[in-house]
Amino acid sequence: MGKETQFISVIKQYEGVIFKITTIYTDNKNDQQDLYQDIVYQLWKSFDSFRNEAKISTWMYRIALNTALTRIRKKGRQGISISIDKVVLEHTEAYDSQFEERLKLLYKQIGALNALDKGLILLFLEGKKYEEIAEITGLSLSNVGTRLARIKQKLKSQIVKN
Amino acid sequence: MDLDEIKATWSQMSDQLEQQKKLTDKIILEMTQQKYKNKFSKISMYETIGAVVCYVMAFYILLYMKELDTWYLLTLGIFTLGCLLVMPFLVLRSLKNIQRVDLVNSNYKEALIKYTQEKNRLLFLQRLGIYLGFFMLCTSLPVFSKINNGKDLFLSATTWLWYLPVMGVFFFFFARWGYRSYRSITDSAENILNEMDQ
Repeated sequence: MGKETQFISVIKQYEGVIFKITTIYTDNKNDQQDLYQDIVYQLWKSFDSFRNEAKISTWMYRIALNTALTRIRKKGRQGISISIDKVVLEHTEAYDSQFEERLKLLYKQIGALNALDKGLILLFLEGKKYEEIAEITGLSLSNVGTRLARIKQKLKSQIVKN
Repeated sequence: MDLDEIKATWSQMSDQLEQQKKLTDKIILEMTQQKYKNKFSKISMYETIGAVVCYVMAFYILLYMKELDTWYLLTLGIFTLGCLLVMPFLVLRSLKNIQRVDLVNSNYKEALIKYTQEKNRLLFLQRLGIYLGFFMLCTSLPVFSKINNGKDLFLSATTWLWYLPVMGVFFFFFARWGYRSYRSITDSAENILNEMDQ
């Protein structure tokens, strides 16, 4: 299989994950699309390095999160205007307004976290084990545990406020 | 929405995303070919244009340096020249450093620390540039007046009588605004760095 074919298959496998990362790190559709492309471009640029690595998901999450993190956001955007709801649901056959509301709330709560915590909660919600989260983020295993406990606490207090 | 609901919603969204895969081979390949539109590229372009303007002005002062025939005009000329040459260089170098953050080999923590530090440095330089630029408005006036018209402004006090107070008041409000904005951005960056160590 050629490099391009392999890359396409990897991106297709992880397109949902990239979408979720772009959603929590941006607050409008244009920025989201820009970031999506940036991430795919960075993954392509470093695809050769992945082929020597053991775990594809670690490589993918690391580069995607780093790209999201080091990207300059346009100034002057106000608040968190969740424009992704339609993007997520427009292609589904059954439109579920309740689910869309829950999704908005979810992004609002995650959007209120800082950059580091956003990455951690995303990895946690993606079902990553603490060991892999530590590997991707460079935090110690105990630090991952402590931080995730704090984030959960933060989210709980946000939930109470709401 | 409690934590279990967050997890459930996330999981439901993941399932839906799995079902509605939209990327085609063509789109993916286009994304790899299209030029990377990093926001820094735009900023770099503006800063490069700014740097060229500064260097042209610096060259102009250098060319007519001999016209600055008193110690104070020469001092102001050298100061202005120094600012015009050094500041754009530092800003462009700082921008380059930000773009050099290694996204591939760094983990999330390393990338965040490096990026935050470089961003702070750039912000500091930009603020410094604004302050110096403002200061330069005062220092360059007599320099260019002497070079262009052969007139020593220090010998005709009337210009300074209105120029300095107006600039002083303007600078006070401008500097206060600049400092506050800078503090709020760097404080939030510092918080992230501090939290990393906890």
